[in-house]
Amino acid sequence: MQTKLAYAQKINRLLALFLLLFIYNISSVAQKSPEENFKTCSACHTIGKGRLVGPDLKGITEKFEEEWLIKFIQSSQTMVKNGDERAVKIFEEYKIPMPDNNLSEDEVRALLEYIKNYDPNAVAQTKPAVKANPNFLENNFSYLPKNTKGIFYISIVLLLLSIFDLAVTKFLKKAVAIHIMIIGSTVFLISMVVYQEAVNLGRYQGYEPDQPIAFSHKVHAGENKIDCQYCHSGAMESKRSGIPSANVCLNCHTVIKSGTNTGTKEIAKIYKAIDEGKAIEWVKVHNLPDHVYFSHAQHVNAGKMDCTECHGDVANMGRIQQVNDLSMGWCLDCHRKKQVDFDNKYYSNQFKKYHEEIANGHRKGVTVAEIGGQDCAKCHY
Amino acid sequence: MKKYWRSLNELQGNLSVDPEPEFSTTGISEDEIKGKAKTTRRDFLKLLGFGVGYATIAASCETPVNKAIPYLIKPDEVTVGIANYYASTFFDGHDYCSVLIKTREGRPIKIEGNELSSITKGETTARVQASVLNLYDSARYKNPKNGNTDISWDEADKAILTELNKIAEQGGKIVIFTSTVISPSTKKIFEDFKEKYPTTEVVYYDAVSYSAMLDANLKAFGKRVLPDYHFDKADLIVSFGADFLGNWISPIEFTKQYSSKRKPEKGSTKMSKHVQFESTMTLTGSNADYRIPIKPSDEVALLIELYNKLAAKAGAEKLNGGKAIVNIDTLASELWENKGKSLVVCGTNDVNNQYIVNAINNLLENYGNTIDINTPLLLKQGNDAEAKAIVEEMNAGKISAIFFNNSNPVYDYPEKEKFVEGLKKVALSVSFASSKDETSQLCTYICPDNNYLESWNDAEPKLGHYSLAQPTIHQLFDTRQMQDSLLKWLGKEAQYYDYIQQYWEKEIFPKQNGFIDFTAFWNQSLHDGVFETKTVSETATFNNSELTDAANKANKEGEGIELLVYESIGIGNGTNANNPWLQELPDPVSKVCWDNYLAVSYNYAKSKGLELGDIVKVNDKFEIPVLIQPGQADETVAIAMGYGRTNAGLAADGVGQNAFTLLDNSGDYKNYVISGVKIEKTGKNHKLALTQEYHTMQGRDIVHETSLDEYTKNPTAGNEAHVKHEENKPITLYPGRTYEGHHWGLALDLNACTGCSACVIACQAENNVPVIGRDEVINRRIMHWMRIDRYYSEQAENPEVFYMPVMCQHCDNAPCENVCPVAATPHSDEGLNQMAYNRCIGTRYCMNNCPYRVRRFNWYQYTNNQKYSFTEDLDLSRMVLNPDVLVRTRGVVEKCTMCVQRIQEGKLNAKKENRPLRDGEIKPACLQACAADAIIFGDLNDKESKIAKAYENERNYHLLEELHTLPSVGYLTKVRNNSKKDFIS
Repeated sequence: MQTKLAYAQKINRLLALFLLLFIYNISSVAQKSPEENFKTCSACHTIGKGRLVGPDLKGITEKFEEEWLIKFIQSSQTMVKNGDERAVKIFEEYKIPMPDNNLSEDEVRALLEYIKNYDPNAVAQTKPAVKANPNFLENNFSYLPKNTKGIFYISIVLLLLSIFDLAVTKFLKKAVAIHIMIIGSTVFLISMVVYQEAVNLGRYQGYEPDQPIAFSHKVHAGENKIDCQYCHSGAMESKRSGIPSANVCLNCHTVIKSGTNTGTKEIAKIYKAIDEGKAIEWVKVHNLPDHVYFSHAQHVNAGKMDCTECHGDVANMGRIQQVNDLSMGWCLDCHRKKQVDFDNKYYSNQFKKYHEEIANGHRKGVTVAEIGGQDCAKCHY
Repeated sequence: MKKYWRSLNELQGNLSVDPEPEFSTTGISEDEIKGKAKTTRRDFLKLLGFGVGYATIAASCETPVNKAIPYLIKPDEVTVGIANYYASTFFDGHDYCSVLIKTREGRPIKIEGNELSSITKGETTARVQASVLNLYDSARYKNPKNGNTDISWDEADKAILTELNKIAEQGGKIVIFTSTVISPSTKKIFEDFKEKYPTTEVVYYDAVSYSAMLDANLKAFGKRVLPDYHFDKADLIVSFGADFLGNWISPIEFTKQYSSKRKPEKGSTKMSKHVQFESTMTLTGSNADYRIPIKPSDEVALLIELYNKLAAKAGAEKLNGGKAIVNIDTLASELWENKGKSLVVCGTNDVNNQYIVNAINNLLENYGNTIDINTPLLLKQGNDAEAKAIVEEMNAGKISAIFFNNSNPVYDYPEKEKFVEGLKKVALSVSFASSKDETSQLCTYICPDNNYLESWNDAEPKLGHYSLAQPTIHQLFDTRQMQDSLLKWLGKEAQYYDYIQQYWEKEIFPKQNGFIDFTAFWNQSLHDGVFETKTVSETATFNNSELTDAANKANKEGEGIELLVYESIGIGNGTNANNPWLQELPDPVSKVCWDNYLAVSYNYAKSKGLELGDIVKVNDKFEIPVLIQPGQADETVAIAMGYGRTNAGLAADGVGQNAFTLLDNSGDYKNYVISGVKIEKTGKNHKLALTQEYHTMQGRDIVHETSLDEYTKNPTAGNEAHVKHEENKPITLYPGRTYEGHHWGLALDLNACTGCSACVIACQAENNVPVIGRDEVINRRIMHWMRIDRYYSEQAENPEVFYMPVMCQHCDNAPCENVCPVAATPHSDEGLNQMAYNRCIGTRYCMNNCPYRVRRFNWYQYTNNQKYSFTEDLDLSRMVLNPDVLVRTRGVVEKCTMCVQRIQEGKLNAKKENRPLRDGEIKPACLQACAADAIIFGDLNDKESKIAKAYENERNYHLLEELHTLPSVGYLTKVRNNSKKDFIS
């Protein structure tokens, strides 16, 4: 069991490493060009530059027939399991299983064509140079509520002055109307500020604490395009998206020991944590009260929401900032507007009325609120 | 019409006008009444100042910094926020259960049953459910000790080994004094120990002894075992004091079997018949169709009488000494008609009684049909005579070393003083107790064992049925497993984990042929938690050569008042007495918690002028309050064992009296019946925490029941009120509610429910329900979200008993909802009555308006309050909390949510897997724990679901449906198989 685990982890790390090096985006959205698709392959294969993790792909189109290659590229392990002789042989030689590729047959054909016609001398396989970014940790936006302290103090001073003048100094003579106007408007402003501050009590929109490690999402999610869920892997399954444990960092940082912006200083903190056996104490940014049950899986997996809908443009954030106020009103606003994934078979035997209305064309979709998304016990229990 | 009553007060019409003084002064603590806790003007100013200051600080300060600390290296199997379940085994020397342990982020938080076990079949008891709390008990030993001094394991090993070797050289006797061990690998270690130290003797000693029964089987079958019983194959069950639904041998297994025969349906109305002869009202007796109170001393005469009547029919020889205490002619004839389909069991620790019972079952040809002697249960192995001999030897100074495993004789040995004296003469005494107890206190060394949730182990509860236990958390303290300690002292390098694997590879792996590779077999067995073979021991035939002798020797005469020491449902034999959940569990029958008491009969109390709570002195041993127990046989009294601990921890110490000190140890078997008991009034009174009158529904039409004959004729028998209600549904101005999605519903089969209360503890564990302590229970503030109402009917001398679990009824037209001034308890689109704790301001209007009395007010933030906790370490005991359920704060109302967290989880899983929800997929905690399968949960909108079918059942009715509350909880009318009125007279 132990060795098996270590083995699996090694593979994980290797894969992850190449993913990073070759700027591979996990989420494949639309049909990509063969050049794009080959970036995935190039993590383990070269064309005419020798063996890497997997075999050199030069001349494979002559060596194997197209049908076989398509099947193998789509899911090599299925073929190994089914006992295909050639597949088993390749697997035994290279030991590391080739991950399945979610590519259509046409895409694979295009890819094979690309490999066949590839001229190693024509395209230089070089990394794009990454420049250091002095603002890697800074954000050029802030969601902090407007600072109303100035208005508050000025209003108080004006209020006091006008009362004082009205009662004692009488500098503005015969201008009670002006006094009253000033008093009235300052009192209004003060009340507004107090009200706003009171509403914002316990809400931390714009909160952007310093973290123990100068970790920049701009670098990881932005420049290197690492998928959110590569690190926050719980989001699809669990209520918590999870903060990656140090071993996840190491998947890449065993090889990348020095960063473009901070050199070895910050990355070394990961090694230190591992060496000392002390977990990294990140500062929690998004704090929900204890009496709220929020599930990431419910929103990301079942609700098919994008992370940015709540967390904002994380790919352009240095330090993480809370962009929404996470108030109950904000939650409910979304529940009222957002449509659920009504095609999910979970709904197939309920809400007959909605199904009929959709079939009749009377209804486009069903909002969260319409299936009970405003019930207390959806979030409070 | 029958009158149903909950207490003698109610029967006699003495119930106070306002039986629920939630708002009167009696519901408020002494301090509050006397004004000690009053808020003065200065206090008010202080609070005001503090409040303003706090608000200012809160408003102006920076955001409070919360830390998010991930794993350093996350184990692959853990996903933060998702529970993992590990199969394991619970066995504490007394109760066995194959379990699944729910862990969150590495913390065990809940015990569920393991459905792969053919013995416990996924069910649990209250004690098994509560066992998870023992892990976080601050009374646990945290390191090895020499007397009161903390020592290290190295020091302990060195000292003990030196002594052991010295003793071995001198040929001194070494004793391993243990409760029943069902772990085959542990027994092997004992063997190894004997090999190294040949003067070692292993003595099995159980606080609740089955010694006589084992010996009776030895006489009858040549095997010292307990047979396996099949209550599911028996049409007629006759029990003589055996509490097989509550405590007797393997109650989970028996409850499951028993209840499967107690579910009559339209068209197939067959149901088993159950007759119980007993002196005090046990859980089993309260479920019987016919319950006959008898004196314990009359039991043997009745047994012989029964034997003789059957012998006459079978043409066998009669025995001497039968006496017709009651007329059992009809019973004998029916037994004879049900030959091979009946079962006679007896709970008395008397070898003659047990032998005669064996003979009766033999006459009835039950062996091989309803009783399986060839696949015996190995759950009880204690030998009273051997234990007694050891105590004699100890006193004679013949024993040099003694090791206590899982046994606490200083507390539960009948002659405690003698034991303590003997123990003083033993040079080396070592206790493996994992938490504080009376025996370890007197031992020279304490080598604390792990909790079972931290341990490896295996078990063979039934021949050929193996199960494994695995640790689900690292040792919380510096403790070491008993087996590891022994291995260490044997000089073996191997850890017990390796040892157990080697043992399984050698002994158990060859018994199967599904796996070629041991590792694969081991992994599968560990994953499943159980491995079962069809091993059968040699066939044994009944040997009745000593029967006449047994009948002649049988002790037939009792004198004066007879006292029975029995095992209660919650505390059991007292091992887990320091578990506050169990202490606060009201006894299903008496409804008393946090105390034991002297149960006396109605007539006895009347003749002696005793009232509830009067303190009496029993046999000059101790003083104990009296409880008048309807159904208690005249001239008998009873006390529950397991109380009166003196060194167990905050929850157990000083609660009740130790009834073990009363036991008669003069014969070869511990006698749990003491005759000629002296009971003296002291004139003092003690208030018992008695919940039977709480949460009353004011005697309205609550109980629906009928007899089997009536039911066969008319499926709606007993349920006429419901039929009438359905016919004349009240007219309402309000539009009815419709549910487009789910409509959750719950149904309780009152016929299957035995009242065992496993659901109450399961609910407590799942929903973070706080414990509040004796005084607060007396203040009627008990927090259990579900309670089990117990009703008596008929006369007080021997009433019929009726159990009804009551939780929030989730009314579609809920009276609580529309009185809440802040809309904290609205109705959900899925038919749930929701409770938003954070919105609640604690007016308690809802509680006042709830006709079912299922809402609880949190008076003192009990979970976080040292004053109401029974642990010295709140942080430790809080580790058991379910992170998916909010811990309620002071000043809010809380109640059953139908386990909405489980509903949400089940729905999410279905969505994740892109499929409709399956019926039965979501299980509320109470349903999952119920061994009787009395609880049904599901979506009422799904017409194929079990719950929808239960609602269509003619037996279904709703509580107080005349109030038009439209509850989402249904009850299925109780059917008693007691149509023949003169069955036993």
